[in-house]
Amino acid sequence: MVNAPVTAAEHAHFRAEALPWLDEIARYAMWLTGNAADADDLTQETFLRAFRGWRTFRAGESCRPWLVTICRNIFLRHRRREQRVVTVEDPELEALAAASLHRSAREQGAQDLFTMVDFGDAVAEALRELPEAFREALVLVDIQDLSYADAAAALDIPLGTLRSRLFRARRQLQEDLMAFAKDAGYSVTASVPGERKGGTRAG
Amino acid sequence: MQAERIDCDVVMRQLWDYLDGELTATRMAAIAAHLKVCDRCLPQYNFERSFLDLLTRLRKPGPAPEGLRLRIMTALVNAGLRPVA
Repeated sequence: MVNAPVTAAEHAHFRAEALPWLDEIARYAMWLTGNAADADDLTQETFLRAFRGWRTFRAGESCRPWLVTICRNIFLRHRRREQRVVTVEDPELEALAAASLHRSAREQGAQDLFTMVDFGDAVAEALRELPEAFREALVLVDIQDLSYADAAAALDIPLGTLRSRLFRARRQLQEDLMAFAKDAGYSVTASVPGERKGGTRAG
Repeated sequence: MQAERIDCDVVMRQLWDYLDGELTATRMAAIAAHLKVCDRCLPQYNFERSFLDLLTRLRKPGPAPEGLRLRIMTALVNAGLRPVA
């Protein structure tokens, strides 16, 4: 098949549709790689591949998940790892498990934990420790602010799987942060209507 | 039109979807109405809301470094992207 010359309109289309996402892809690359040098390389390679494959992009669709998919695939290829199949529960069962975790937090007087404790860098560190499949889902939805549909498209997984992994990631992150707070010696007095709430460091 | 009435089990199962704005307008309204009057579900909502607010602080809006932007544009032009006329 003879490749037709790239038209001026296609160049302009690439500039208008793909380049505005440069900042966001750079941030996503940083989340994937964990360091600025690798993130910069990954970002550059993402846009080069996107440019070379621009004719495969379907006009009218959002460019953002397409670029995220390219970025992620390059990253995974460089790591030479097969994506492990992660078994997760039904998303609504995961949501009910979150309710159970909240009940446990209330019993410990920790229902205001996320507003009262200064976690510092612990949140980002705990996020990096999540299993990759869960971390990917959470980063795309909660950090990159993608919709469920766009995140599922970027990860090439069904919507239900995205929801399951996201909800599981959130619950695990909550558990990890609760453990961090406990290990750091934070204690939260039980919240009773009419009483002053307090968050203190024990010891 | 009156909002549909739903029970706590439905709210708990769909609370994450609600917090993410991923439900139909009708269901979003129904859950919002339920949370106004339910002292079992509202604390759960507040707990999850505060957790998601914590995560949003990890977002770092702002442009990529100028050096990176220039580097990528140079690479694209070298790959054949036409400069703006």
